[in-house]
Formats: sequence, C-alpha cells, structure tokens
Amino acid sequence: MVVHLTGVGVTPFGRLPGPDSLGWQCDAAERALADAGVEPDEVDTVVAGYSTVAGHLMPANVFAERFGLRPATVFGMSVGGATGLAMLAQAARLVESGAARHVLVVAGENRASGQSRETSTKVLAQVGHPDYEVPLGGTVPAYYALLASRYLWTYGLGPDALAELPVQMREHAGRKAGAQFQKPITVAEVLESRPVAEPLRLLDCCPFSDGGAAFVVSRAPTSDRSLEVAGSGQAHRHQHLSALEAGSTGAAVAAQRALAQADVTWEDVDVYGIYDSFSITVAMLVEELGLTPPGRAGAYARAGAFEVDGRFPMNTHGGLLSYGHCGVGGGMAHVAEVAAQLRHERGAAQVSACDVAYVHADGGVLSAHVGVVLRRAS
Amino acid sequence: VNPPDWTDGQPRLVVTRCGRCGNHWYLPRVHCPVCGGAASTAAPAAGSGLCVAVTRLHVTADGSDPIALGLVELDEGPTVMGRVHDETLAPGHRARVAFLGSPALPSFSSEGTR
Repeated sequence: MVVHLTGVGVTPFGRLPGPDSLGWQCDAAERALADAGVEPDEVDTVVAGYSTVAGHLMPANVFAERFGLRPATVFGMSVGGATGLAMLAQAARLVESGAARHVLVVAGENRASGQSRETSTKVLAQVGHPDYEVPLGGTVPAYYALLASRYLWTYGLGPDALAELPVQMREHAGRKAGAQFQKPITVAEVLESRPVAEPLRLLDCCPFSDGGAAFVVSRAPTSDRSLEVAGSGQAHRHQHLSALEAGSTGAAVAAQRALAQADVTWEDVDVYGIYDSFSITVAMLVEELGLTPPGRAGAYARAGAFEVDGRFPMNTHGGLLSYGHCGVGGGMAHVAEVAAQLRHERGAAQVSACDVAYVHADGGVLSAHVGVVLRRAS
Repeated sequence: VNPPDWTDGQPRLVVTRCGRCGNHWYLPRVHCPVCGGAASTAAPAAGSGLCVAVTRLHVTADGSDPIALGLVELDEGPTVMGRVHDETLAPGHRARVAFLGSPALPSFSSEGTR
C-alpha cells in the first residue's frame, strides 16, 4: 500500500521571540493541514516531538489540547535530531497498517529565545554518557569536534576542507525565504569565525532557532501535490561517542534499508536532505552513504556537487547550518524542502527533473539514524 | 559488576572483553552488542594507546575556561574519551593516561611526557 505525504508546513526559523513551543507547533500544524486540505477533525492520530524548552512528559497530548484536537491515538517521540524523520516513518507505518487515516506529525520549539544558550548547551550535552563523558566537561559541539579532529587527521586534511560545506548551505539559504541566515559567507570567514570547539568554529555549527514544522501523512492523496512515502530505514548502533564505530555509524545501514524498501538506488535520487548540525556531520554522512569518496565531501562541495544543478542537490533551503535548527523541527525542514522540490514549486532554486528525494537525519552523536525516500506521484 | 574504575574514584580505565566472541568495549553493557553473549571479563587497561582526536573547547558547558578533550584508542581495543593536559598531544601520537584533579578525571598526554 502506498502512503501519502499530503501536507507539509514549516515556519520561518530564527531568533523570533513571542510564541512558546506549543505556539510554534500550532503555527506549523496550521500550515501543514492547510497544505494538505485536511480539516482538524479529520486527524485521527497525532505524533509530536519533544521540546527541550517545554520539557513536557506528554508532548502529543498537550499539543492536541492546545490545537483543539481529540485524536484516537497520540504519542511523543524522542530520538534526538532523528525524531522528525522517525515520526514520519512511524506515521507511514500506522497508515500502512490501516490503524490511521490522517496522521499529524508536529514539532516546534522556542529554543533560541525561550532559554539561554548556556541552558541549551547543558541540556544537549546530556546526550553524553552521564558517568564516562559528561563529567569530562564536553558539549555536543565538543563531541562533534572530536569527530572532526579524527576525520581531518585520517584524511590528512586542513579545516578548510570542512568549511566548504557551511559556505554551500549559506548559498542555498540566500534563495530561501524564512532562513535564519542569508548573507553569503566565504571559506575564509568560516576559518576566521570564533572557535567553539576546535577544529570547529562558529560557522561550522548550526544556530539555536525558534520555529516549527509539521506533516500530514494520509491513506489517500488529497490533491495532485500529494507525495509518496516510498520507503524508510533506521539504524541505532550506539548512543555515546565512546561507543561509535568510525565509518560504520549506522548511516549507511539505515539508508540501504530505506532505498531497498523504496526499490530505488542512489542513481534514482534527484534531491537530498542530509542532516547538517555541523559541517562534520554532513561530511561524515554523505561519505558513509557513499555519495562521495571518503574525505572528499568538502572537495565535492567546492566543485558544486551539492548545488541546485549539481550531482547531489542537497539542503537547498540552507539546512540546519543556515535555515536554522529549532530542535526536532530542524530536521523536518529538510523534508519540507524536498517536498517543495518534488512538487516542482521551488522557482529559481528548482532542481530539474526532480522525482525522487532522500532525506537522512541523525540524533545524538551520529547515534540514531533514519532515512526516508519520498517520491513524486507517478 | 565491573571492577571499580575512575568513575568510582579508582585511578584506572577498565576494559571488558566478551567471553564468547572476543569483542571488547569501554562503556558498561549487559550483553555483547555483537554476539549477544552475557559472559564477559573486565580488567584494568594498561593506560596507553593511539591518540585519534583532540579538541580545544572554548565554549564550555558551565562558562569556565577552555578545556581540551581527546579520544584515545587503547592498546586493548576500545576508544576512550578523556581530558588532554599536554598541548603537544595530537592525533597520530602515542598517548598515556593519568588521573588528575578532584574528582580525578582521566587525562592524556603524549607518551613519554608528563
């Protein structure tokens, strides 16, 4: 049975004080339902992602009440940055099984303006091992910086290799309304930005953002703009950096499971949305997925491989690095963007002959992996 | 139950080896993630290995002064995260652990230096 992504909604991301987490979720949900042409009372299932600011035990229930829904089934999910794609994958399973007709998937958070940067840093650092890592004083940027240090040493590269990736993301964001950062940057500016956790500098790191995103996943198309959820795959091989196997984080396993379920290969994929919390994140992911040879993600970026007209058009909204990162909704913006590409609605940033998309997200420290294949209805 | 290590205040790193398949790990586990075996042997590591990553963290979680962290592949196999107290330590160098501070944390330097 084919499952349909009938609606997507994404708000602008940025430092946008005002709405709380539920406010952003309601904004995104309104957009996704309008996009799908689905009325609130047609939603029978709600899946909601966690908000670190709200910290509520029952994120789907509290959202449903605020938005004004009385669904038959709700649940919250929490697999870090992979949560949005994991919710999409599980929504598709529920529809496929016949248990749901319209699933509303939602996340949103006032992460930039609702809590201090120090608090966010501390909360997120808890993905480290409480006994063996957190006492050492690391943060999420530090954990990814260790991956970056190992990567640059392994391939004999300088930090300029990774700097190409945020430069490309910023270029994409310049063509996307709602992106947090749109002013073009250069490799030199990345390398001169202030060090956060060397070798990573400020412009190697995604920002904290306010914002939200939502999807409607349905049993039947609601318009000719509806897309097919063609396949999904996951892998969860470790939680903590100390237990990560370099080159075998689970990214490739998740991707191959998703491609197999969709019955496609990389040759068939026209547009990509790849999680880019840091420059090193997207470099390691595209390499483990096999899109570029090991150590070459930056060189491929410099050569334009991830441009709209490149071999692997990727994160054409600017990704987490430049569109922004509001937590769970951050990884969902990649889905909203490839959906716009598959609908051929991206105007000057449209990828030509765009029929199949692959989206990949990771949570933790390359810990939780989810890949999803979306397809333009034939 | 693992023998006490630095997280219990004892100056040592402990490595566990699966009795069924020989896989090894550092963080506590009930079963071997490779073969599912429950029989394993934990023993103190000698404390030396290959440094594979170093970061200098400027934006610390508590706003304190910068710290340096590293990853070392112990000669016994597993990768261990620790502080770094030697500015010359870089990926590719041999590293040796010491236990510094209070509470004592594992901290690496180039082998042969203090």
